[in-house]
Amino acid sequence: MKPPGITVREPYAGIPSATKDAIEKLTQLPHNGLPDTHTGFQPVRLLCCRTHHGTIMDFMLELDCVTKAYDEFVAVDKLSLRIPEGEIYGLLGPNGAGKTSSIRMMIGIMVPDSGSVRLFGQPLTRPLLERVGYLPEERGLYKRMKILENLVFLARLKGIGSHEATRRAHQWLERLELGQWAQAKVEELSKGMQQKVQFIAAVLHEPDFMILDEPFSGLDPGSSLQLKNVLLELKKQGKTILFSTHRMDTVERLCDSICLVNQGRSVLRGVLREIKSSYGLSRVQLEYEGELPLLSDPSLVAGYNDFGNYVEIRLAPEADPQRLLACAMQRAKIRRFEMVEPSLEEIFLETVESTKAVPSHA
Amino acid sequence: MRNLFLIIGREYLIRVRTRAFLLFTVLMPLFVGGVVILPSKLMSRPPSTRRVVVVSSDPVLGNAVRAELFASHFSGEEIGPEPRESGNSPRPEFEVNVQGTPGEALRQQLTAELRHGHLDGVVWMDSDAVTNRKVTYYSRNVSDVIAISLVGRAVRMALGQRQLTDHGLTPAQVKTLFSPVSVDAVRVDKQGASPTNGLGALLLPFVLLFAIYMTVLIYGIYVMRSVIEEKSSRVMEVLLGSVSPMQLMAGKIIGVGAVGLTQIVIWSASGALLGSGGYAMAHRLLGSTIQDAHIAPAVLILFPVFFVLGYATYATLYAAIGAMVNSDEEAAQFQFPVTLPLLLCMLLATSIIGDPNTPLSFWLSMFPLTSPIIMFVRVSVSMPPTWQIVLSIAISLASLYGLVWVSSRIYRVGILMYGKRPNLSEILKWLRYV
Repeated sequence: MKPPGITVREPYAGIPSATKDAIEKLTQLPHNGLPDTHTGFQPVRLLCCRTHHGTIMDFMLELDCVTKAYDEFVAVDKLSLRIPEGEIYGLLGPNGAGKTSSIRMMIGIMVPDSGSVRLFGQPLTRPLLERVGYLPEERGLYKRMKILENLVFLARLKGIGSHEATRRAHQWLERLELGQWAQAKVEELSKGMQQKVQFIAAVLHEPDFMILDEPFSGLDPGSSLQLKNVLLELKKQGKTILFSTHRMDTVERLCDSICLVNQGRSVLRGVLREIKSSYGLSRVQLEYEGELPLLSDPSLVAGYNDFGNYVEIRLAPEADPQRLLACAMQRAKIRRFEMVEPSLEEIFLETVESTKAVPSHA
Repeated sequence: MRNLFLIIGREYLIRVRTRAFLLFTVLMPLFVGGVVILPSKLMSRPPSTRRVVVVSSDPVLGNAVRAELFASHFSGEEIGPEPRESGNSPRPEFEVNVQGTPGEALRQQLTAELRHGHLDGVVWMDSDAVTNRKVTYYSRNVSDVIAISLVGRAVRMALGQRQLTDHGLTPAQVKTLFSPVSVDAVRVDKQGASPTNGLGALLLPFVLLFAIYMTVLIYGIYVMRSVIEEKSSRVMEVLLGSVSPMQLMAGKIIGVGAVGLTQIVIWSASGALLGSGGYAMAHRLLGSTIQDAHIAPAVLILFPVFFVLGYATYATLYAAIGAMVNSDEEAAQFQFPVTLPLLLCMLLATSIIGDPNTPLSFWLSMFPLTSPIIMFVRVSVSMPPTWQIVLSIAISLASLYGLVWVSSRIYRVGILMYGKRPNLSEILKWLRYV
């Protein structure tokens, strides 16, 4: 997980695993030792990373109790999150959840009404932004300027010399198969190509921390694959990536940790693997031929999504999957039976649904 | 600072290397020249020869009119808006025949000839023309003002001579009596007196006024469109990840302004280079007048000062407008109230050039939105007291400071607002955002 050069101080070194489990159960630490503003719970921070520079750099980015309101409307409400170095971090949420506002505060486009933003362990200042790459959701390049000029201009704003910027721009364009378009104007490019150019603009200055807002939207499968490989390679180089999206499939495959926001608040956050396993193997995937009358049995099935010869079943609480299999076999031929964790999409929908009930704040 | 220069550089280069810049640089002097010169050329471009018949029962009077019409072509007397000139005069030459005894048959015949184009005009003098001082001029083109006024003058002169000789003056005495008087306009200022011609003194402020007006307006609107472009292409948000809104706005205004200054420098330099050639051309077009027009050093120094002040004021306003709207179409209605003071300057320019020291001129040269242009006009016509120039510049700078404060706030919020056009109360709210 961690890039080379970083050691994790193991807080439980020498402690028997049973004791460790007991401690964790007792303290119920939120991920990354983050204070949970909604419960008022103030945990002790246990994890600490030491970079190869010898300075303590806990997190690439920390939002602490950040709030932003536009007149009456509270876009971001006491949001706290911490992005560990070297991770791909997913910022998820339905449209209008406050993702873009949060991101804008991370890079100083907007100033929070209250709360603090720390970048690379320091309070946010403009010079620090030279080490940040930003791919906004609203893509934008100078339409009447050439691709290469656009890239070089944006890289120079980040402090890269024009010669070096040109060299890197050519490299990246070749890599993303846009080499022959370097001298074309942006308006001559297809939308997907423009997306790729925009991505290059976000990474050309080799930032340590990248904020990518919906990087995959509008890309064809080939380009998506290309981009995914690039992202993984950047991660391998030790870069940290914040990745804002509502496309769960990519998040599920790429992200180490996530923060799910809804109505400006963080409603779920943590290491993705842990979140998913906390839901347990509560889903059954069934490929079948025939009929499944058991789907209407509330003691077994809490919900399902039937595709005719394939069904995804949400088990009722306390239901025995073995009994479900036995029932299913009575009227149908079972080709595949698998118990799985819920998909992130399900968790997302469920969490968003359950937090909707919370009365509106402000 | 580095980013500010990068933005200035981009704004500058992207404009200077376009074909539009080249065209504008070449066409603008032609346009200004056209606006100043064409009207006077158009007013004085009738066909060179008029075939006119003078019909009079009194052959002596008829011949006198004929003689005056001939003479009018060479006369130095001012009769219309066109400059006096000798040689290839824009005035029509007359080919005059005199016919006696006005009668219905002759009238029929002459009007028929007029209709067929064998004749250009008929001066019809009835027997009571002398007592009534009234003649009729028949022509296909009654809007040929110059010809009509020349005919009127010729008849007046002829009648005058006739009456004076009737009172016993000799023809020679009469001639002296009617010979024109020439007026030499001499401009007096602190440097002393310099002989200039009225028209030259009038022309120069107009040309400079036009140059300052066009560049302020055009480059101000460039700034606005540049903001709208960055907003609508959404490149704004990418930029804001690297630069502050203030840097962006300042860089844009300075960069575009530098293009305007470049243009002015090119015009002045080519003007100076062409120098004598330009004067010679102007001389040929306008007569001797422009030769005497000279630019005082103070005007040369103050031109860039007032240009920069005027441009900065309007560019700041236009930048704020650009930030408020989403498209050029939406901008149009915000643009109008801002452009109004500029238009006002142009409309009042003639009267201010004519009389630069009225209270109206004074107050317009102090009001921040008109002062750079009007004060400059006043400077180029006759140097106002120094305290007025200093005060005008000071007011301009102070208001510019306020405008930058307001605009940068509108800009900072507006550039991230898409969709609905804000109303006034929303914009006022923006000013209070941190």
